[in-house]
Amino acid sequence: MTTTFYVDRPSPIHRLNPVTKLVAMLSIIVIVFAIQLWWVAALVVLVVVVPAAVISGTGGRLLSLALKLLLPILIVLVLIQGLFFPEGTTVLAQWGPARVTVEGLLFALGIGSRITALVLCSLLLLITTNPASLMTSLSKNGMSPKMSYVISSTLQIIPAFQTRAESILLAQQARGLKLRGNPIRRIRALLPLISPLILGMFTDVEERSTAMEARGFSSTATHTSLMIVPDSVVQRVARWVFVALAVASVVLSFSGLLS
Amino acid sequence: MIRLRGVSYAYPDTANYVLADLDLSVGQGEVVGVVGASGAGKTTLAKIIAGFIPSIEGGVLSGDIDVNGVAISSLTLSEAVAQVGLVIQNPFNQISGAKFTVLEEIAFGLENTGVPREEIAERVQAVAKQLRVDHLLDRSPYALSGGQMQLVAIASMVVMRTPVLVMDEPTSQLDPGGSRMVFDIISQLTDLGTTVLIFEHKIELLREHADRVAVLADGRITAEGAPRAILSDPRLEKWAIGTTRYTRAGLAARDTGLAPVTGELPVSMPDAVEFFGPSGKH
Repeated sequence: MTTTFYVDRPSPIHRLNPVTKLVAMLSIIVIVFAIQLWWVAALVVLVVVVPAAVISGTGGRLLSLALKLLLPILIVLVLIQGLFFPEGTTVLAQWGPARVTVEGLLFALGIGSRITALVLCSLLLLITTNPASLMTSLSKNGMSPKMSYVISSTLQIIPAFQTRAESILLAQQARGLKLRGNPIRRIRALLPLISPLILGMFTDVEERSTAMEARGFSSTATHTSLMIVPDSVVQRVARWVFVALAVASVVLSFSGLLS
Repeated sequence: MIRLRGVSYAYPDTANYVLADLDLSVGQGEVVGVVGASGAGKTTLAKIIAGFIPSIEGGVLSGDIDVNGVAISSLTLSEAVAQVGLVIQNPFNQISGAKFTVLEEIAFGLENTGVPREEIAERVQAVAKQLRVDHLLDRSPYALSGGQMQLVAIASMVVMRTPVLVMDEPTSQLDPGGSRMVFDIISQLTDLGTTVLIFEHKIELLREHADRVAVLADGRITAEGAPRAILSDPRLEKWAIGTTRYTRAGLAARDTGLAPVTGELPVSMPDAVEFFGPSGKH
């Protein structure tokens, strides 16, 4: 069962230190939201995301995931802002109360381009970064092992929940639970699933904490790591450059120079 | 070495003692098997020896619990787990839930205790080969079958190389081949001086591999001794543990006069061959 979006490829993007990618992603998001010009977000997608996706060999996966996530958001955005933007004055077309205005479309373009950049950057990070190496490098950069555990186990909990839910459902179907029929009937049929699922997970947590302690989770020794996460001076410098650019964009935005 | 004297325990908010005045000893390098009906207190006893009761679960615990000559109550949990490894019953909960491959999963405990990277890699590979899970090292722990998960869970504890290992039904999800392999590894560990206490329902395997066997019933050790003598004791039926088909066949042979009433009943196939076969006495 797949637990993450990660796609393993022997690419230079994959080999980058995960923290470099994380810092780059966060900085880009800050920049595109600070500088309120739609073409900045578009430029980021064209100059950063598209080449990185091509080089990493994950363009197809990125496109399919991005379409699933972005299409509904963008359609709703264009429909609402494009047709019902209250401050729109330059009307291109009108059907009753719905008016297509230039201002509305520009507003939708501004928000849509930034959301697109955000989603694409985040997905690219997840697709090209082994979650284990991300956790290792975050721990090496000062994150506590307990916080690292919380994040990693959260990523893994969904398939664990799915497996348990499936086995409870099978057991209940074997005892006569019917899952067919209209949606309301299906939802009602799922209610008996909730109690054993949640209670079971609580019992698991208690037992797992025992097992974790048995493996030295609370040990005061300095934790080591089996995984080697490559890093370099160039990447360390690049991280600070990204941070500086993000800070500069926020400062420029507040100073009013970019509006 | 494990030494329990007069151990009694009641869970929080209850007056019922799960264990009452229990005595048990396991020598260094010895394998002692404990059999008991479901609900007899096997898991509770395992957690007491490993130091999790009462420090985590609370309750009222009395008596002496020494591991390698040190009272477990005098150790912090981190110190206790460095002495006693605990393999819990459900392998699904033994895995950390935070690692993305079996390799990282087995390495988890070693990383926590600060073992150098080169040594982690070496020890993980060795134990994975030993338990024949080396072909699974790149798989997600959640993508394993129950039996594979149990082997990974055992590997993740064996790799810690604690001087004492307490195993709570470690073969519950394993096929006969997998179960035998686990006992072979236990033999290798005891040859290196590891002390093993194993709670197990598979009586024939205990007959073959344990140095001694103890019966946990009514909150205490009700019988203890050589595996064949204990595991063929007809009182195991009364204690809801049950006997093997070979023991029942031996008893039936005695009842019908086909076998004399003295001598040890068989527990396993080799015992039965000796008991019933032409080279045997009967």
